[in-house]
Amino acid sequence: MNEQFRVAHKLGLMFLHDTSLPEDVKVWAISQLHAKSPALGIKKIKLYPKAKVQEWPRSLQPDLKKRDDMFAIYKQNVRKQRMELEGHTSEAAKRANNRDNLMGEKDEMKFAHRNVYGKDQVRLRFTSFWANHFTTGNIWDNQNHIGHAIDEAILANLNGTFSNMLYKMTTHPSMLVYLDNVWSSGPNSQHVIWAKQNGEQAGLNDNLGRELLELHTVSPSAKYSETDIRNAAKVLAGWGIWPGNLSDGLMTLDERNNKLVEMGETTNSWDFFKKWHAEPGNKTVLGKVIPSGKGGLRNLTDFLASHENTIMFISFKLAEHFVSDNPSKSDIDYIANAWRHSNGNLDQIHSAVIERAISSKAPKFQWPMTWLFQVVRLSDASFFKGWDQIEKYDQGLMEVRKIFEELGQSFWHTRQPNGYSSAKSEWLSGEMFERRIRFSDAIYTAGFPSFTPQDIMDRIGANEATRELVNSLVGRKKQFIALMCSPELMGLENA
Amino acid sequence: MPKFNLTRREFLKVSGASLFLAGVPLPGFTKNKPPGTISVIMLEGGMDGLTAVPPFGDPNLLKMRKNLTSNNFLKLNSFFGLHPSFQYFAGLMAKNNASIVHATNFPYVLRSHFEGQNLMQGGGLSPFSDTTGWLGRALDLAKVPGRSLSLDMPLVLRGMSDNDNFYPASIKSSSDLMTQLIDTISMAHSKEGSEIFKKVSKKSTQKDSIVPRNPASLAKFAGKAMSRDGGPLSSVIKVDQFDTHANQGADENGNHGTQLTLIDDIIAGYKEGLGDAWDRSIILTLTEFGRTVLENGTGGTEHGYGSAGLLAGGAITKSRVISQWPGLAKNEQFEKRDLMSTIDYRSVCAACIEKSLGLDHDVIASKVFYTPKLPRVYDQIFS
Repeated sequence: MNEQFRVAHKLGLMFLHDTSLPEDVKVWAISQLHAKSPALGIKKIKLYPKAKVQEWPRSLQPDLKKRDDMFAIYKQNVRKQRMELEGHTSEAAKRANNRDNLMGEKDEMKFAHRNVYGKDQVRLRFTSFWANHFTTGNIWDNQNHIGHAIDEAILANLNGTFSNMLYKMTTHPSMLVYLDNVWSSGPNSQHVIWAKQNGEQAGLNDNLGRELLELHTVSPSAKYSETDIRNAAKVLAGWGIWPGNLSDGLMTLDERNNKLVEMGETTNSWDFFKKWHAEPGNKTVLGKVIPSGKGGLRNLTDFLASHENTIMFISFKLAEHFVSDNPSKSDIDYIANAWRHSNGNLDQIHSAVIERAISSKAPKFQWPMTWLFQVVRLSDASFFKGWDQIEKYDQGLMEVRKIFEELGQSFWHTRQPNGYSSAKSEWLSGEMFERRIRFSDAIYTAGFPSFTPQDIMDRIGANEATRELVNSLVGRKKQFIALMCSPELMGLENA
Repeated sequence: MPKFNLTRREFLKVSGASLFLAGVPLPGFTKNKPPGTISVIMLEGGMDGLTAVPPFGDPNLLKMRKNLTSNNFLKLNSFFGLHPSFQYFAGLMAKNNASIVHATNFPYVLRSHFEGQNLMQGGGLSPFSDTTGWLGRALDLAKVPGRSLSLDMPLVLRGMSDNDNFYPASIKSSSDLMTQLIDTISMAHSKEGSEIFKKVSKKSTQKDSIVPRNPASLAKFAGKAMSRDGGPLSSVIKVDQFDTHANQGADENGNHGTQLTLIDDIIAGYKEGLGDAWDRSIILTLTEFGRTVLENGTGGTEHGYGSAGLLAGGAITKSRVISQWPGLAKNEQFEKRDLMSTIDYRSVCAACIEKSLGLDHDVIASKVFYTPKLPRVYDQIFS
């Protein structure tokens, strides 16, 4: 590939056909860290001419409070349905309840659109990296939170510090629900004392405390103890509401909001601290003394964010994701040094990643999700339905949710909290490769690409081996599949 | 206080399970053919051995786990019971075709899912130190041909090349795989990519019967494949969602109970698919760790240490609960919180390898598990 597309393959999602190629690709990639692009998408698929790309409607991007309210209404309706109340039992009523109040499918479509049409491809790649680092999943009552976390906790904080992003993600309801913290209370909290008096159950849940150390920051290389984990969980105790629980009793929204204010002095689920559930007293985590109270968590996340083990652990992850499948020690050190010198400024860290990814000539194997977006952008295919078509069956096109399910990768699936591996070895399997062939086929067959394999090869400056492969085949469809599954576009070595 | 009256989640739950087949002998490979087949059910998240196989004879069980223990457990003997989700497994126990190992685990005590899962597959002592897995190395040693290092998933099978995973694709607007096209793509790739496309190509010539995606049907499919002459000698099924930190439940409908039902269904699926080959089969479960003895503050359990292992197959001819029971009192627990592990589960894996692949225990101990003094428990399971 020419230098622009080689870099866009490693660090971005490929240049759209109507974008001119930058002369200095490094300057471009770094400037992309501040590129501004709203969530772009299409209302409805059109083939000739292609549908107009426009901003996602505000009405489909509610704020967190609205999302929580919607979910509360959803739960109420489900409850009424179970009670067999009139007007709630028909299939149509159930469908309407899902459509009006659940955000998962809309958010997943918006994410796909954004990645296919966005003008901020490098930012979007870093967003996906961090969304995966801070994996949350679709369990319990989390469906309406995941997309909000990706947009508002990750993307919106991409130009700040790691420490700020860590705090924003740790306190986001998407994380607090996913790793069970919403139910945790300190063993000596007022709440647990009352619960014991009443013979009820309450206490600590260490799930988030453990993963905060193991996956989000210092990693097991820091050799923390079970006591460190429990103390981290004690710092976290009190953070988060469980919105579903509050709606179980058929409360009205007003009653629910009053209840929230009573518990946490706010209705904002992103800043929700139940002081009666918090553990009194100082806690020590990896030698650092953390004071009690709401401010304790920020002390802890700031301490962990600048910890040397965090820097080395995440610098490696960044290098493995963007630079090469076997990053060198100097790649990792370069990123780690940028981190240390800037006190964890993400612009500086990301710039260092960009520099090493460009200077390393090694190919980088791409995630199925990234590859899919790249294929659709390169060919200008219409593969993702529009926001007006979420409910509508289409004979040729899959539901967006289904596309990611079949691809084997989605931020809206239930999965383990360590997220998707960036290691090539985890993705090299017949099953995954078969899907690349089938998706190339489906994108060609149902997506009506605007560009032929020859057009695409010319634009990206495909290498000799790729041209030889494509030209050895007869028929555009076969050529298209071969191009998209070529070593060059998958990020693998040529024969 | 939360009431924990959650109903089953109504969201999409992706891929209940995935299947991997391994150890396909080359045509004409009949000399020294291993005596049996070995299948592994990997339970990710940490199965709660005390819920699955409650030691109701231990006076501390109900004191410590009132809300986590089913009242309807099936009685195995005067000390151990079986969770009501295991109806089929209980039948196999009655027919002397299944056993349980209790208070056991891989020698890993740090309670990280990801280190634990790596060790239960790698079979070594230090996480992320092995690039091959214990089952892959065992199949290599059994001289199932077609060996060489492969990067295929999952780790437990790595060490051999001729394995493949199976989770049929359902992609609208894509047509049948075209062998010649895939062969051409394969030739353009270097060795690692090329070998994988070759597998896809090979698959394109097979007449796949339609495989439903639920775990029991995958097990049946695997059993059928393994029952064929020249079929794979080994299979692995992976099931997740055992990590019940909250709302674990006690009965079949609880969050842990529904996962246990999946195990029961998978074993039933294997039995049906294997047919006559059942008699030379062994199936065992693996999990990265057990869960805390005490219920936590949110109706669930935290990561622990000792758990239970389930064994099934015609290779077992006498049902037992194999255990050196450590007790559940505080001072008997590991680090005063977890069920102690008194049997190294690698010994159980070694016995299953010895039975199915016909390898010598000392060879397995030193070459598969890198632990020459690994105790042999073969007689306790198979005599």
